[in-house]
Amino acid sequence: MNNREMAVLVENVPGVSSSEERYDNQIEVRADAFALPGLLSYLKSNGFAHLSNILAVDWIEEGEFELVYNLFSYVHKLHATVKARVDREIAHAPSILTLWPQAQVYEREIHEFFGILFDGNPNLEPFFLHNWQDSPPLRKDFDTEEYSRRAYGMIDDGVEHAKEQSI
Amino acid sequence: MSELLEISREEIIDGKWERILNFFRSRSLWMLYYCTGCGAVELPPTMTSRFDMERFGIGPMATPRQADILLVTGYVSVKTLKRIIRTYEQMPEPKWVVGFGSCPIDGGIYWNSYATINHLEKYIPVDLSLGGCMPRPQAVIDGFTKLMKLIEKGEAVGYKKYRLNHDWYKRNQREVLERTEPVLGPPAKGQARAFARDVESVELSHISGSGGEK
Repeated sequence: MNNREMAVLVENVPGVSSSEERYDNQIEVRADAFALPGLLSYLKSNGFAHLSNILAVDWIEEGEFELVYNLFSYVHKLHATVKARVDREIAHAPSILTLWPQAQVYEREIHEFFGILFDGNPNLEPFFLHNWQDSPPLRKDFDTEEYSRRAYGMIDDGVEHAKEQSI
Repeated sequence: MSELLEISREEIIDGKWERILNFFRSRSLWMLYYCTGCGAVELPPTMTSRFDMERFGIGPMATPRQADILLVTGYVSVKTLKRIIRTYEQMPEPKWVVGFGSCPIDGGIYWNSYATINHLEKYIPVDLSLGGCMPRPQAVIDGFTKLMKLIEKGEAVGYKKYRLNHDWYKRNQREVLERTEPVLGPPAKGQARAFARDVESVELSHISGSGGEK
């Protein structure tokens, strides 16, 4: 099955707003967030057995996060990119842990760095950051420079610290 | 044996025995390299046959408890800092720290990152910093010969600094590692991580139209 046929096939799944072929071996599917488990399990049963990764994109001007699921099919030799938008204020999307257990790592990381809740994921404990108290750092409204200035001291105040310590 | 200790103590006070010790210390250095970042790439050529660090009496050591030099190669994230402090405190005195590359000096290219500290010398005393991103093996060996001279003259006294200013260093370490409050103030509504209770309360408020529970 080539990517044009696959795009037409996926277009009929409930919750899918657009499904297009891309280049000569990819399809790009846009869907509602609530339809993700159904859509992804449909794709999985149609040959897309491999979940490459899950990404989150912060579209701050549109007030939305975009979740991107990259799948690959060993049967059809096709890539599938599934994109779903979630609201930035109450960011939550259904977990796909039951389809791919390895999604746990991605969901936990996205929850830590963007704050998106994955409904049904039992373990969203912080993963990478040490004792993090602020808002999630990869959101576009997080001021990383100001954080670095206040938390670790910046280049220009190195002189003061050198003076402060005397043996 | 007890006699020898007494003699050596007296001589440490007037500095003679310490001078002799420093002469030998500077010629037999065991190095523990904590490869936090990209600096580790420059160490194999420095240690192996082309540049051959061993001709200066510097060799690699596997454990902190037998090492003299702690080499921090590259950027230091907060998680790494915790391990560096534990490693440093396990090392027996006399001990020296070498900051390798730009990142331990002032943050380097990660100066505005939320995850990496900017000044390593705020948390542990650094005796020698090697600038560069990354320093070439020639620069590394040049730095080590400088460190050897400093040790021989008795000027590399970072570990004494650490002992004397223990409170200052510990305060800085705790400030980063045991933070209890958000640095940029509490996250605004809708900016913190979402948890199930938040989503539920917002959705309930949509249904009842009361604008949030309680």
